Amino acid sequence: MRYVERSTGTPLCAASTRSSLDNRTGSWRFARPVFVDRVSPCSQRCPAGEDVAGTLYLAGQGRYEDAWRLIMRENPFPAIMGRVCYHTCERSCNRVEHDEAVSIHCIERFLGDLALERDLRVGPLPEPSGKTAALVGAGPAGLSAAYFLRRLGHDTTVYDDMDRPGGLMRYGIPAYRLPLDVLDGEIGRLERMGIRFETGRTLGGDLDLDSLTAEHDAVFLAIGAHGERRLGLEGEDLRGVYRALGFLERVAEGDFPPAGRRVAVIGGGNSALDCARVSRRLGAEVAVYYRRSEAEMPAHAEEVAAARDEGVSFELLCAPAAILGESAVTGVRFSRMRLGRPDATGRCRPEPTGEEFEAECSAVILATGEFPDPELVPAEVCGPGGATQVDGFGRTRLDKLFAGGDLAPIQRTVTHAVGSGKRAAAAMDAFMRGTGPDRVETLFRWGPEGNVTLDLPGEAALFPRRNPEAQVVGYHALNPFYFERRPALEAVWVPPQDRLAGFEEVVRGADEEAVLREARRCFNCGSCTDCGNCFVFCPDVSIRKEPGGFGYEVNLDYCKGCGICVQECPRGAMTLSYPEGDA
Amino acid sequence: MRKVLTGNQAVAHAVLLAGVQVVAAYPITPQTSIIETLAGMQAEGRGDFEFIRVESEHSALSAVIGASMGGARAFTATSGQGLFLMHEMLHYASGARVPLVLANVNRAGAAPWSIWSDQTDSVSQRETGWIQLYCEGNQEVLDTTLMAFKIAESLRLPVMVVSDAFFLSHTSEPVEIPDPGEVGAFLPPFDPQDLWLDPEDPRTFGSIVMPDAYMEFRWLVQRDMERAKTVVTGVHEAFGRRFGRWYSQVETLETRDADVVVLCTGTVASTGRVAVERLRERGKRIGMVKVKTLRPFPAAPVIEALRGKGKVAVIDRNVSPGAQGVWAQEIKAALYDLPDTERPAVFDYIAGLGGRDISVATFEEVYERTSAADRPEDLDVWIGVHYAEPESAV
Repeated sequence: MRYVERSTGTPLCAASTRSSLDNRTGSWRFARPVFVDRVSPCSQRCPAGEDVAGTLYLAGQGRYEDAWRLIMRENPFPAIMGRVCYHTCERSCNRVEHDEAVSIHCIERFLGDLALERDLRVGPLPEPSGKTAALVGAGPAGLSAAYFLRRLGHDTTVYDDMDRPGGLMRYGIPAYRLPLDVLDGEIGRLERMGIRFETGRTLGGDLDLDSLTAEHDAVFLAIGAHGERRLGLEGEDLRGVYRALGFLERVAEGDFPPAGRRVAVIGGGNSALDCARVSRRLGAEVAVYYRRSEAEMPAHAEEVAAARDEGVSFELLCAPAAILGESAVTGVRFSRMRLGRPDATGRCRPEPTGEEFEAECSAVILATGEFPDPELVPAEVCGPGGATQVDGFGRTRLDKLFAGGDLAPIQRTVTHAVGSGKRAAAAMDAFMRGTGPDRVETLFRWGPEGNVTLDLPGEAALFPRRNPEAQVVGYHALNPFYFERRPALEAVWVPPQDRLAGFEEVVRGADEEAVLREARRCFNCGSCTDCGNCFVFCPDVSIRKEPGGFGYEVNLDYCKGCGICVQECPRGAMTLSYPEGDA
Repeated sequence: MRKVLTGNQAVAHAVLLAGVQVVAAYPITPQTSIIETLAGMQAEGRGDFEFIRVESEHSALSAVIGASMGGARAFTATSGQGLFLMHEMLHYASGARVPLVLANVNRAGAAPWSIWSDQTDSVSQRETGWIQLYCEGNQEVLDTTLMAFKIAESLRLPVMVVSDAFFLSHTSEPVEIPDPGEVGAFLPPFDPQDLWLDPEDPRTFGSIVMPDAYMEFRWLVQRDMERAKTVVTGVHEAFGRRFGRWYSQVETLETRDADVVVLCTGTVASTGRVAVERLRERGKRIGMVKVKTLRPFPAAPVIEALRGKGKVAVIDRNVSPGAQGVWAQEIKAALYDLPDTERPAVFDYIAGLGGRDISVATFEEVYERTSAADRPEDLDVWIGVHYAEPESAV
């Protein structure tokens, strides 16, 4: 050293003569910091198991195409999801405890639309497996299963009895919520991947389950729930009485049913509100009649609010007693209800008060629920209420036969159907390859909801998961000091008075700047984003860059286990472990 | 370039010109506008430095010690209580031989709270091993800050640049901002040589040493403080030659025939210049000595300036309770070795604490009282204190 006093041999400042690397302070350690990939609550709650933390990280870097690809690992329909998914993710977002939930759906829609605009394709397909799979039903479950099976290398054919694929996404969801070009764009992408579509083929008609099973290595049944529940009401068959799905299907085909000036919609689910909002667009005055109170309505609150904005009135605590009219509907007689004790679903059971009233109307739409048609599935797999009995991966008791979507007992949303198709695809892949359930080793389970991530070629590297742990990160596990409080991006709605002229989309897409800002609001709970806080705070210079470039590693030769890195990790992606013996 | 700058802005301009690489500071009045100006400069993209926001002055100084150990030219600024909180790390910095520069804007200590000027904060850091340079005007503040880096890096000792709260920090004066190229030639980039935290060859600095070695490190600090007396003068001269502005550790004014020499520091000297002129016009034989360095204490030039003078009146804008003003103690110690015939009597006047004004009238009072007395009225005489002891306590 130059700063050594020759006369005394003393350095100017007390400094070790040997490298301080000789002192392996790691031997002092009894606790060890570990990088973990934990589950964010949004991903846990996502019925399709999307990697929201990773997607929003990539989007926040302006890497929109990569963000889109990360969604495509879990869900083939980002543009559709950004519009119709009821985003359970946002309700569980940790940001709720900080300021407001991240507006995940706005970002997803932006990414989906960007991919359509740029005509993005998913990565190359693997070597053909030589196996063929048949998917019956071209709704979200069948299409999702077909997509994932195709990406796993299988030959896939989707059968459907309608003229065009899409199922309820095409024939049940009105175009003002899901425009046709978006739907066609995302389904068209599946066609270009080599998925065959055989439309106009009816199960039980020109399509026979036995021969399908004989011709293919696996069959997935996802024919939905189209059985109509008769209410046993007087006048149920009068002219002007419609069933919700039939009504919406005719509207989707441009064959607007004559409904007259005053429409009564009976039911409180999302289909009821779709029928009500469509009827407003057809020029009718519309009232929704529901037998419980608003709190019990199964419809999403956002749908209820939109319907109100569009002039739909709500008549609560009333159940139809009779539909009135000679040959055509002229009105409905309702029983006034009150709420009684909670039933099996936890909602209060409606009880008649004995009071009745009549409402005039020119049409009645019954939106009181549908059930799977038990005629169309083998009796051995048919369970209570007509639902097909399956395990968590869509496996039925029958060899080769898998089922999912609304046919199975799941929540009836598009996203749940996509998740159901994805899980079935994983099980079908394992079955066809003869690897047994162990093939699920390629799957990565996301927390207790049972969602799976498929290990699709290429995409895992977009946001590496090094040490996954099936533990959900709560707000308390984060370091909120690092996150400034800012309001969420709000979706912009077309003003109600401008909506009723037609079926134009009612929610506008967000622009790039707003999306980028919103994506950066994401805490990325439980995921390392390479922020470098651990590196900055380590007093022992014992955190170093991961050789691959993204993320950090702990140098255990010197780490004393003080835990500062864990404390300062903004997003709960580190933990202190206390191993027995050597830490 | 000539600009109208406050003392604090002058510090910030000097820091920018010096090419400082790391700034860490915690806001405290009256220092705050130094780091605000620096933060603003950084926000405008001027100056390539890291600005570390910290949770206290103790951390601020710790952070720049780390930065300096890592080989960066580093700077911090503080005042009053902030400097008191830094005290532990002030000792550490000199012991670790980090060539930091700290701008201290003198602020009186609490309690009771005061944000105004006196020197108690800096003089009470006398034993920390820091070089302390006191400034009279805003130009001197800018120039001294630049020189401080050169002095610190030549000696591997930290330097405190001291300026008076509000009289300098918040008062604007025309200031000449030197040309960056000239500054670069005067003050080349910091070369830590081999005394720095090299990640390729990490060493432990400042760790424990046994009794058989500790004294040697203290001796080295003391030896280099002695060397500093020459180095500071050398840097003053190098600066004067390049920029045409000359500074010295001890400056004299009209002392040749003076019967009373008033010794003062900081902005008090600028008032002193006016007072000397006015009293001289009235035939009073007053002289003045301005001292710029408290540590190392420039004993030789002080002796040279005061040898054979009859009376020296020290104006101390500080007090060491139980003794007297700190400058008076220093002067007395320096003059002790003079023979009786050449040793002046030293009168100590405590004035201007907590920002109270020291005016031309103060100088007049100091001059008159000193000329009238054969010997000091007391060890320390407090100017203008409104306090009467109760009868019973007398």
